Amino acid sequence: MRIWFRDKQAIFWTFFLPVVLISVFGLLDFGAFSTVDLGIVDRANNETSQKLEANVRALDAFDIADTTTEAEELEALLDGDRNLLLIIPPGFGENGAPEQRQVTVIFNQGQPQASATGQSIIQSVLDEITFAEGQITDRYHIDARAADSRNLRFIDFLMPGVVAMSIMQMGLFSVAFSFVQLKSRGILRRLQATPVLPASFIFAQVFTRLTVSIVQTLVLVGLAVVAFDVNLQGNLFSMLLLALLGGAVFVSMGFAVSGFARTEDVAAPIANAIALPMMFLSGVFFPREAMPEPLRVVADYLPLSFLADALRSVAVDGQSLWSQWDDILGSMGWLAVTFFIAVRLFRWE
Amino acid sequence: MTTQPDSNKVNIIQVEDLRKSYGDLKAVDSVSFAVGAGEVFGILGPNGAGKTTTVEILEGMREPDSGTALVNGIDVQKYPREVKKVIGIQLQSSAFFDRLNLAEILDVMASIYRRQINAMELLGTVELADRAKSLFRDLSGGQKQRFSVASTLVNDPVLLFLDEPTTGLDPQARRHMWELIQRFKSEGRTVLLTTHYMEEAAELCDRVAIMDHGKIVAIDRPAALVDNLISRGFEKERVESLANLEDVFLDITGRALQD
Repeated sequence: MRIWFRDKQAIFWTFFLPVVLISVFGLLDFGAFSTVDLGIVDRANNETSQKLEANVRALDAFDIADTTTEAEELEALLDGDRNLLLIIPPGFGENGAPEQRQVTVIFNQGQPQASATGQSIIQSVLDEITFAEGQITDRYHIDARAADSRNLRFIDFLMPGVVAMSIMQMGLFSVAFSFVQLKSRGILRRLQATPVLPASFIFAQVFTRLTVSIVQTLVLVGLAVVAFDVNLQGNLFSMLLLALLGGAVFVSMGFAVSGFARTEDVAAPIANAIALPMMFLSGVFFPREAMPEPLRVVADYLPLSFLADALRSVAVDGQSLWSQWDDILGSMGWLAVTFFIAVRLFRWE
Repeated sequence: MTTQPDSNKVNIIQVEDLRKSYGDLKAVDSVSFAVGAGEVFGILGPNGAGKTTTVEILEGMREPDSGTALVNGIDVQKYPREVKKVIGIQLQSSAFFDRLNLAEILDVMASIYRRQINAMELLGTVELADRAKSLFRDLSGGQKQRFSVASTLVNDPVLLFLDEPTTGLDPQARRHMWELIQRFKSEGRTVLLTTHYMEEAAELCDRVAIMDHGKIVAIDRPAALVDNLISRGFEKERVESLANLEDVFLDITGRALQD
């Protein structure tokens, strides 16, 4: 018993990690997708369409915005303010023509869960109307279309996030672990016995990691483009610059961790406690919109969020580096903070 | 008393009134001594006597509270890096990069001093040439100690600091280390070593300083210290026999290195 309790790693993986996971996913509450942000454009404005709209509005599942123009709704969808846009065609339900028995649902592929939930609810509302009309064979149905003409898929959303995450893992873990190891084994002390300048030794360490972060980005982007046919819109050079900046943030975070951790036993839980929540909260695997408001506000300011957002905008939306100034500024802020902590806590032994 | 080194030689270490406290503990309490070029100088003393702290100050790895220490004529406090360039430091427990083999580690160490070395030749001096491709952690205790000494030679130092170089070694490995230290002396290097083994100090050191409670309580040639004790009427209860158990051990197991 005692031996096990003194194994901090074991305690971490057994208690801390599951607790964090449950908390994170609990807070995310995928059930909360029952409130799907929906926009409605009614081109028919007849009895059937009003009935459909009323039925949809009656559901708690949707959070429906006040109706605006179709163009505005589309823009809102692209900006991520809506999960779905329901377009009711002219003459909806008036005769048996096929195009009058279907509604168009435009969804944002970056938000797969919300759009799937919303579509199935809309379909069930349509079915209700179908049955009320006594129809069985000629169901009302959904013509689902992705919002983006570029056909944004989940992998397009995922790729920049994974690049950002792997830069975090590399910077944080490889520095925290290897540096604490150098320290605890006395290798740093052996180096201190030589005339090597601390700054040049640390510079070499940082330089190595930043090179790795560049290679990482190239490999992951290459894989995504070649194997998964990801449509890379952005400038690769801008992405590499962001990778360097992100690498610098997480490398100095790794140094900060290695500053107050004396042994690997201590470094591991600290690094994990920093990395794991960020992995889930920073919009790597799914958009932060899935999170409840207070948590989301915090998540928006995490260093991984800044890096993932900037990479995503540049890679997938083809935006310029300059347009991501807020994320870059946020990253630089984190760099300043973590660098300051790292320098303050640095010790040779 | 031969408290000063041979005055014909230059002093490579010159320490004046060195002090260092940790809280209430006076780890080093007004220590002064000098070591001449080419000497093997031993610092003896029980654990906690202040040996390591004194040595670490000389190595530029620790700051004294007061006093001065000159190594090779350089003020250690002011120019620790300049001092480190001309000395070799063997730490009590050394560790090296995990994923590099012995030859690679020596090359990396040499690059710190911006020197080109022949790693194989260096490993040969400590009889580790056949382990050049091994990892440090796979070495035996004696081999680790020898490698650690080899690593202090990459910058061809004029002064070597050896901290308990034979602690934990078997008699063969210990004698081999003694031969190495004597070779360094014959090459004209100065050696400062700390040890708990009196026969080691007697065998190797030109002069020894005995420290206790942070002070140097005696400093002289080993033989002179013994003579001084006998002259004060000291007698051993039993006169030592002509051979001891270590001689028996070495007679049976041989003097060659066995690892």
